[in-house]
Amino acid sequence: MSTSGTGAASARLAPARGPAPAALARLLAVLRAGEVAITCAAFAVLVAVIFADVVWRWTTGSGIIWAREIGVFANIVLTIIGIGVASADGTHLRPRFFDRVFPASWDGAQTRIQEGLTALGFAALTWIAMDVVHETVRLDDRSIVLRWVIWPVQVSLPIAFALGALRHGIFAAFPALRPMERDEATVEVPAR
Amino acid sequence: MNELLLAALVIGLLMLRQYVVFVLAAAVVFVYMVWGDGRIENIVLDGWDSLNQDVLLPIPLYMLAGAIMAEGAIAGQLVRVMRAIAGPIPGGLAVATCLSCGLFAAIVGSSTVTLLAVGTVMYPALLSAGYSKSFSLGLICAGATLGIIIPPSIPLILYGVMTATSISDLFLAGVGPGLLLLGLFASYSVIVNWRLRSGRWDGGEFWAALRSGIWALLMPVLILGGIYSGLFTATESASIAVVYALVIELFVYRKLDGRGLLRVTTETTRLLGALFPVLMMALALNKFLTFEQVPAQMVAQLEQVFDGPGSFILATNLLLLVVGCLMDIGSAILILAPILQPVAEAQGMHPVHFGIMMTVNLEIGYLTPPMGLNLIVAMTAFRENFWFICKAVLPFIGLMIVGLAAVALWPALSLFMLA
Repeated sequence: MSTSGTGAASARLAPARGPAPAALARLLAVLRAGEVAITCAAFAVLVAVIFADVVWRWTTGSGIIWAREIGVFANIVLTIIGIGVASADGTHLRPRFFDRVFPASWDGAQTRIQEGLTALGFAALTWIAMDVVHETVRLDDRSIVLRWVIWPVQVSLPIAFALGALRHGIFAAFPALRPMERDEATVEVPAR
Repeated sequence: MNELLLAALVIGLLMLRQYVVFVLAAAVVFVYMVWGDGRIENIVLDGWDSLNQDVLLPIPLYMLAGAIMAEGAIAGQLVRVMRAIAGPIPGGLAVATCLSCGLFAAIVGSSTVTLLAVGTVMYPALLSAGYSKSFSLGLICAGATLGIIIPPSIPLILYGVMTATSISDLFLAGVGPGLLLLGLFASYSVIVNWRLRSGRWDGGEFWAALRSGIWALLMPVLILGGIYSGLFTATESASIAVVYALVIELFVYRKLDGRGLLRVTTETTRLLGALFPVLMMALALNKFLTFEQVPAQMVAQLEQVFDGPGSFILATNLLLLVVGCLMDIGSAILILAPILQPVAEAQGMHPVHFGIMMTVNLEIGYLTPPMGLNLIVAMTAFRENFWFICKAVLPFIGLMIVGLAAVALWPALSLFMLA
């Protein structure tokens, strides 16, 4: 999927300089590794259940009744936890046509404001999502086919938002730890 | 007054370099507070509801399949077969580039993936065969945009999700306009490069290319043939695409290993992690607008502005051309499709036809500065000057506008397979 592009010169923002405690850098690396592991596992489950559903239907004449439900749950975990991977790698979509409104010398301050506001946004979403999950637990909401309680999947929302708040908060405080903003322009060119 | 405040909020957040997801989230909170019941927890509830549906499943699966194939050998195999077929005709290598873009697009559904996968093979080949740098760059940038109209296409899936239109119908409808654009690019390539021929027909090379590329060539047959024959749904087709791509890349061509697979899965995840929160917020906003009957009110108001489908088509296309210059196609479809589609339907346009017209129009945005993604990708991949590439794509933008006019004014081009 495409991300917002930009003019040639402003394709990347130079990260602001500042002290970057090694412990925080390690924490961010561990967080990303954990998120990548979870999303890869979710991807494997998604592909496996949908493919198994097709094969089962061809061989027995009827599909696996719970396959779509598991697939949807895997997709939710994949895409919600994937928010963290996108933050860690700087791939969140951002229109850039106002980037040159302010002088380039303000970039450092603007980066801190940008990341600070994003952290606040994630914190607000965490608070709302926790409320929603609490309500789901109270009402004992269950999935339609398997009748599983859905809060263990839904809890991925506040977890991902909280990690987003933490991560972008760290980026605001220590801009040197912030990844360069990527778009597909920076996709590695495959060797032929 | 509230409308002005909303516009100021959005512009202010954009000036503060906020991500699309939070600009949309702020807009959703604003409309809940001002025009709704003030229950902002609905932003998460509606977002959850929007994710909790199986219609979204083809998106991650097609994206993963495309990433696997771009990393592996399939693109190279397709290009070899197309070169063997089209090489002997005037401008044959350029025609082979068009065909490779169209065929690869029919597998991966992404413009930039097509540009990188086909372009990195064909750009040096075109230059060494004597094609001009400007033509070669323009052709590869434009040919790659076929990836978003020839099915399977992620923007068409997004349009289907946002407007509750059948994704299979959209895929069927994308074939005609995709072939038209492919034909326009190929014809132009022959006319401009009439004197350039790569040599005689080589039957030996053709059969050798066909033998080694047969697994790659079967891919679009499997994906599209399955959907069009009704053998499986778009979601099932996407899962088969992933498994098929994995099997032939890991065990037949053996160009992908475990490390490469982890890399492409992570790459896909970060794209999904950027796309899906925006999708959540857009669907939450859409739900609110529908609940408040905003599209219906817009239809009633705009019916008085437009005196027929002609003026609506013209105005919409002008608007979308501007939007395509400023915004990526995914965000544009997520935000504008649910607003414009009811108006289009009220003007007598078929929702599938409108979706195809919208996608073809926004496809041009890949080639227009300052946000044209293919321009930026080509600049990075081929180490060329940004404005040189902008000039190189101009003839192809002209061809695409001709194609857009045909798509807009000739609904049967999109809808003929639906009957």
